[in-house]
Amino acid sequence: MATVMKTTRDVKGVGLSIPRPDGPEKVTGKVQYVADIQPRGLLHAKLLRSPHAHARITRIDTSRARALAGVRAVLTAADMPYLKKKAPTRAHAVLAIDRVVFAGQPVAAVAADEVAIAEEALDLIDVEYEVLPAAVDPLEAMKPGAPPVAESGTEADTSEAQAHGSVAGVAAVAKPAKAVNISQQTKLARGDVAKGFAECDVVLEKTYRVPMVHQGYLEPHAVLAQWDTTGQLTLWASTQGSFNTRSEVADVLEIPENRIKVIPVECGGGFGGKIRALCEPVTAELARVTRRPVRYVMTRREELIAGMPAPQVIIRLKTGVKRDGTLMALDGEIVIESGAFSGAVLAVGAVFLASLYKWPAFEVRGFEVLTHKPSIAAYRAPVAPHTIFAIDSHMDQIADALGQDPVAFRLRHIQRDGDPMANNQPWASNAGYEVLERVAQHPSWKQREAWKKSAPTGKLRGTGLSLGGWLGGLQPTGATVRLNPDGSLSVLTGQVDIAGTNIALAQIAASAYGIDIERVKITTGDTDVAPMTGLSAGSKTVYTVGAAVLQAAEDARRQTLEIAAKELEAAVHDLEIEDGKVVVRGVPGKGVTLASIGKKGNLYMSKVQPVLGVANPAFSQQAPAFAAQLARVELDADTGEVTLHEFVVVQDVGKAINPLACEGQMQGGAVQSLGIALTEGLMYDDKGRLMNPSLLDYRKLTAADLPSIECIIVEKPSPAGPFGARGVGEPPIVPAPAAIANAIEDAAGVRLTALPMTPEKIALAIAHR
Amino acid sequence: MRRFELVTPASLDDCLRALKGRGADVKVLAGGTDLIAQLKVGMVKLTTVIDLSGVAQLRVLDGDAQRGFRIGAAVTARMLEQEARVRAALPSLSESGALVGSIQIRNLATLGGNICNAAPSADMAPPLIALDAEAVIASAGGRRTVPMASFFKGVRQTVLAPDELLVEFVVPPTGPRSGGAYLRHTPRRELDIAVVGVASQVTLADGICRKARIALAAVAPVPVRATAAEQALEGQPLTPQAITRAADLAVESARPISDQRGSAEYRRHLVRVLTRRTLALALERATS
Amino acid sequence: MAKQVLSFTVNGEHVEVLVQPYVTLLDALREDVGLTGPKEGCGTGDCGACSVHLDGKLVASCLVLAMQARGRSVTTIEGLAGDGVLTPLQDAFVRRGVAQCGFCIPGVVMAAAALLAENAKPSEQDIRYAIAGNLCRCTGYTKMVEAIAEVAGTAAGARAVGMKG
Repeated sequence: MATVMKTTRDVKGVGLSIPRPDGPEKVTGKVQYVADIQPRGLLHAKLLRSPHAHARITRIDTSRARALAGVRAVLTAADMPYLKKKAPTRAHAVLAIDRVVFAGQPVAAVAADEVAIAEEALDLIDVEYEVLPAAVDPLEAMKPGAPPVAESGTEADTSEAQAHGSVAGVAAVAKPAKAVNISQQTKLARGDVAKGFAECDVVLEKTYRVPMVHQGYLEPHAVLAQWDTTGQLTLWASTQGSFNTRSEVADVLEIPENRIKVIPVECGGGFGGKIRALCEPVTAELARVTRRPVRYVMTRREELIAGMPAPQVIIRLKTGVKRDGTLMALDGEIVIESGAFSGAVLAVGAVFLASLYKWPAFEVRGFEVLTHKPSIAAYRAPVAPHTIFAIDSHMDQIADALGQDPVAFRLRHIQRDGDPMANNQPWASNAGYEVLERVAQHPSWKQREAWKKSAPTGKLRGTGLSLGGWLGGLQPTGATVRLNPDGSLSVLTGQVDIAGTNIALAQIAASAYGIDIERVKITTGDTDVAPMTGLSAGSKTVYTVGAAVLQAAEDARRQTLEIAAKELEAAVHDLEIEDGKVVVRGVPGKGVTLASIGKKGNLYMSKVQPVLGVANPAFSQQAPAFAAQLARVELDADTGEVTLHEFVVVQDVGKAINPLACEGQMQGGAVQSLGIALTEGLMYDDKGRLMNPSLLDYRKLTAADLPSIECIIVEKPSPAGPFGARGVGEPPIVPAPAAIANAIEDAAGVRLTALPMTPEKIALAIAHR
Repeated sequence: MRRFELVTPASLDDCLRALKGRGADVKVLAGGTDLIAQLKVGMVKLTTVIDLSGVAQLRVLDGDAQRGFRIGAAVTARMLEQEARVRAALPSLSESGALVGSIQIRNLATLGGNICNAAPSADMAPPLIALDAEAVIASAGGRRTVPMASFFKGVRQTVLAPDELLVEFVVPPTGPRSGGAYLRHTPRRELDIAVVGVASQVTLADGICRKARIALAAVAPVPVRATAAEQALEGQPLTPQAITRAADLAVESARPISDQRGSAEYRRHLVRVLTRRTLALALERATS
Repeated sequence: MAKQVLSFTVNGEHVEVLVQPYVTLLDALREDVGLTGPKEGCGTGDCGACSVHLDGKLVASCLVLAMQARGRSVTTIEGLAGDGVLTPLQDAFVRRGVAQCGFCIPGVVMAAAALLAENAKPSEQDIRYAIAGNLCRCTGYTKMVEAIAEVAGTAAGARAVGMKG
């Protein structure tokens, strides 16, 4: 358990477990989210959504809705002539024109004085649909002759992959003719796979399935839109990227970006579900037409039906090894269901499948498939949990078949720094090996036989582990650091603080400049005032924005020292910053306060420049980060219920800028990972309609389902990260599904390959054993 | 939530007058944990809601192990969970209340609401059936009593007419050497809904099971009594073999469907498991 | 539809607002009384973000009609800390870095406060079940449980958490 330490003269900020400064506001309910903003004259928006997964719209009549007292606007696509029939992205499909491609797609929009009136107005909108056959299962949708989702010529949308800065050097492959719903395709290969299989002794082939899951943020999508009289649009948005939102909205509405100001309001969770624009364009239109502020807050039901979930992924994996444990060949097929619009991070899965362990010969084919379902966005390490579920379940089974220790087997074959990844790029420095070694030292791993034997009557006990990680995201960004007239620092970024990164940035600035952390304030600016910033996603905030803040703080320090050097008539390299003063090393009493430098930069007639450190770096070097998780489980042999007795996360964070915050990420990510493993999944019927649109049946784990998550931080510094830091947010969501599957096999002798591993699946597997 | 009028009667008579002559577009509101949620998703559309919070007599909780209990329809699940008399004398009912939703839900959800909503998975129905409880129903025209085993007609359908109000439940004394239990299976430990629920109540005399009641939730459109299992137990000593056999017979009374919460196969499997476990618990409580 | 007068006690103070009969207690608190601490995460009682104390009992305010609270006493997250001084529970949450996005926190604190008012020495199991009605997606719950356990270790009972109303 990390304890809070005071700053000392020697350690300014980095490495301290400092609680987030917004804690008091959060525990008293004072922090404002979008739905808490109550401007005068506010109107409430509601959207009418298609009940059908695929249909032609033959008639829309909004006259009865318009006539309802309290309704201020009713819009359909007919009111937005700039909408393109073939929407390039989900955000562009503001309202359906003449066709709907997923159940839940917006067809009309209402703004009214009250939410209740807006809902009644929806009931009064008459829409006639001609229902068409829907492509609902991705494996069926891949086949020639399946109902087509996009018009021909849909471009693969790789902005997702780019946002996560994931994989270079993975080429797209031309798709076969007539497979109309395959929107992206990739292939990675090395060596002679057929020969490898011919020469091996043990072949294992399994198909692993992970359903669509929702990111599960507690705050639903929300946006407040208002235009001023000069044609400027302000959007208060719950978003992971205000600049991205601005660009997307500008593109959709066909207005210049500098006519839009996006204010990133406190975001109640995103995890990748709020990296793309969704409701902003339609809300902006309602605000424009009514000339009033309009707020749209998605209901939970709408979120589950028509959010932007993580994809369903089906991986067919076949491996061949020799009896002595030599890896020979791997053949994999990854199908990623993207929903109605393309956007999957296809290459990541392909690379992870064949790169984590060293396969001399492999072929991996990846397909993105369109279906008549809501299109996907990212979810914390997109596709990595799915891929690791497959490869790490597989490695455990292979070790078991060979009678080898599961950790020793992995350690023997795991990639090391510089080894070629599946795309032939070298693995950047990482601690995959070290993290795996460390988790195997945990007493719960060492005592797993005793745990198993201790099972009471009617129960089964087991232990499992898994290793996963994330390649690390990249995005260019900017930051400024300003010295104030009182000697304090103000840091400005455009970074939405979701994971508590602001405190880490403050610690970085404090340490880099040479000032106590209490003297540093971090501000997240809106798109009018902040330097360009990327998404708060991809585990790249501390890595990239932290680097920008570091460089800007160093720049500010340099300027400060140069000003002081002139005044003190000393050389810059003889100067230090200590206790709020610039002092000459070895000459006590000779110094000038930061406050005086700051004041001079703001004084009438002064010739001293105001200190303003600026940085705007772009990055080319990823910093992969690995996490291993260990699960100790007890199963009820009759009902299949799983009790998680212990769960451990070992993670390489490069450098723990703020250990307390690192633990929060490790624990939160682990529980999301466990949700994917045990209880979560969006379930669709054969007509493409969601069967579990509530939190009763879309099951997220409660505190009563979990033990305390133990965190072990490992530090293998990254070459380019600030103070060696790596991204922390994504690795912990990756390993749990494989760890749990391995633990269940250890306990009950059954191997589950379809998530979630519900009590029903476990009980019936045991009963049929 | 679409708009509706709200009526707030200050007494039972006021309430019955408000209900008189009304149709399906008017409903009473107790805890709201079912009705408000249903109104919000548009599953139910009403012109008028009758708020029962002013009708104090619906919250009565009267009785003890010797006399039996009168439990007002608006008694909350949390009250059943925590009230010492109920925990001691009617553990199966107390346990079922304790399982509903979460604490936030249990402080609102009422016994009457759970029963009148009549979901096949209603947790508090099987214990009431296993305890031979009766529902007291009032209207402007008078009162009637219906045994719980006959109260349910179908999914979300009960014997209540639109102008009737369920006022209270009468639970007869179980008698000495009687024990009961309620268990359900859910994927999560809280905030969940029964995949299968089983209530068992056994009464012993001279080492023999004199009376057995087993009621199942979520395996048919209505809660069902496992009568074949009950008959196999009555007149027998409750040996492990007898219990196992009863559990097998209970499966035959179940007619589960496969839906997103569970397959029919798994539900039948759970009926067997939970019947066995509740009988064992009931026996333990009857003999302690 | 005519609004009705809702007269009740909120965080120890008498309040009167005009509300529509079909408005929930959650919406009335947020929009008419101006207390936006309780949040809507789901609207159907499945997430706990709207948790308040109604006559001292922890409830999902999204399922209560505002008019059902007439004459009764409501405590929201804003009513826990007196004169800007955090309760030991809130202080523990701050020191231990519990809150991440913060959206679930008002509801969790209300649930924890209700627990400690009833059970001054809860076990870890008691704590977990007491907040099981509050979904959190960011934290994995561990630090919440530790913060509540810390307070229970030092608390002298219900009064230590400064409950009002």
